[in-house]
Amino acid sequence: MSICRRIRALHPVALPLLLGGCDGPQSALRPGGQDAAQLYLLFVVMLVGAVVLWLALNGLFFYFTRVNQQQFSLRHGNRIIIGAGVILPTVVVGSLLAWGLSIMPSQRAPGDGLVIRVTGEEWWWRVEYWPPGADAPIVSANEIRFPAGSRTELRLTARTYIHSLWIPSLGGKMDMIPGRETVLTLHPDLEGFYRGQCAEFCGASHAMMAFESVVMAPDDFDAWLAHEAAPASRPQTPMQVRGQDIFRDEGCGACHAIRGTEFTGSVGPDLTHLASRHSLAAGIMEVERDDLMRWIAHTRDIKPQVAMPPYDWLDAEELAALAAYLESLE
Amino acid sequence: MKGDRVTGISHRQDQDEFRGATGSLFRIALAPTIWAFHFLFCYAGAAVWCAKFGTPGGIAFLRLSIAGLTVLALLAIAWQGWRSYRQWAPHDHDDHVEGSHRFLGHAALLLSVISFVGVVYVAMPALFIGSCL
Repeated sequence: MSICRRIRALHPVALPLLLGGCDGPQSALRPGGQDAAQLYLLFVVMLVGAVVLWLALNGLFFYFTRVNQQQFSLRHGNRIIIGAGVILPTVVVGSLLAWGLSIMPSQRAPGDGLVIRVTGEEWWWRVEYWPPGADAPIVSANEIRFPAGSRTELRLTARTYIHSLWIPSLGGKMDMIPGRETVLTLHPDLEGFYRGQCAEFCGASHAMMAFESVVMAPDDFDAWLAHEAAPASRPQTPMQVRGQDIFRDEGCGACHAIRGTEFTGSVGPDLTHLASRHSLAAGIMEVERDDLMRWIAHTRDIKPQVAMPPYDWLDAEELAALAAYLESLE
Repeated sequence: MKGDRVTGISHRQDQDEFRGATGSLFRIALAPTIWAFHFLFCYAGAAVWCAKFGTPGGIAFLRLSIAGLTVLALLAIAWQGWRSYRQWAPHDHDDHVEGSHRFLGHAALLLSVISFVGVVYVAMPALFIGSCL
């Protein structure tokens, strides 16, 4: 049982308000992997240690001012100052530093084979899966999936601004720097959904640069990756066909790629399997009809300074057809 | 010989004391300066090494260099601390009042202690981390 759940159990009404950050898909206090578990342990030890030190310090202060007010000799006073004021903090801080440093190499341990390259864009995530031995990546966007029970290597960079990739429930954060490649490895254990967020202020829509992260059983992950590598499904209904025509006529394919079609743009997110993702526009909307229509018509109202222009000249029927086509891209 | 009528201290005594105090003031800054340069060399050295050579060549040389630099810095700080201690608490002192000379020695000793700890903390990452990642 995590520390938050224990505290919540003590007081079912008031404390949950204070402990809102403890639970949920984006909490470092609900670890879903080895790296986050290490950081969680570090946090708990530091917290308990801080509480013990606080109690001890105030207890001694109370004792010597209220209970035992005797004068100390200079020698005795000096011993207390040197012991409690110099040696104790030096040893405690040194021990914590040594422990923290000893954890760092394991957070950078080599991966077990799968490499995921993530590029921070404005303000979304370009995601490329490189399974062992692959010659070309399987391209996706705004969602990162991991196989449970193995260590995955994340190779990170950025296009224009510095970003930082952080999935609090899976591990620590790592900067994404234009022109450089940084490496983070994660070892998720618990299957489920976790939320990630850009953790470095990167401009107007920084707060809306998030993503869903999914940890899957290894077999499920392999099946999902094989599906992700396949080309997009063809439009089936007349409405979807009309939506594809609008996609073509409006020039969407100049920026977005949909594999298996003539659309090969690489400026914006790959949309080949958009409908199989759990969020739209980098973690801020749902992949469903209304949100798709709203996003296409009002991009910059929803996400300031985003590169995609708002297609507000499309009428409701055209937007619905376009959304229907995008919804078919599973 | 002219001097201060109130204290009875001559100009020559005054100048000698001032010269001694100036030397002590410089010595006060010595240990923190060693700490600062050790910090600078360790961090700049690691950054340049990792940028130019990276992990493939191993970072044994970098870690050994930091270890060597650390030993030198600690020896210099320990020596400075010992001198400061002698200045603060000479064998023949029996008064409880610190003159400026002894006060400067006391301050230099405390700065040596904190610089020693600082140098150890700065060097600790090289002890645990074996790659540029």
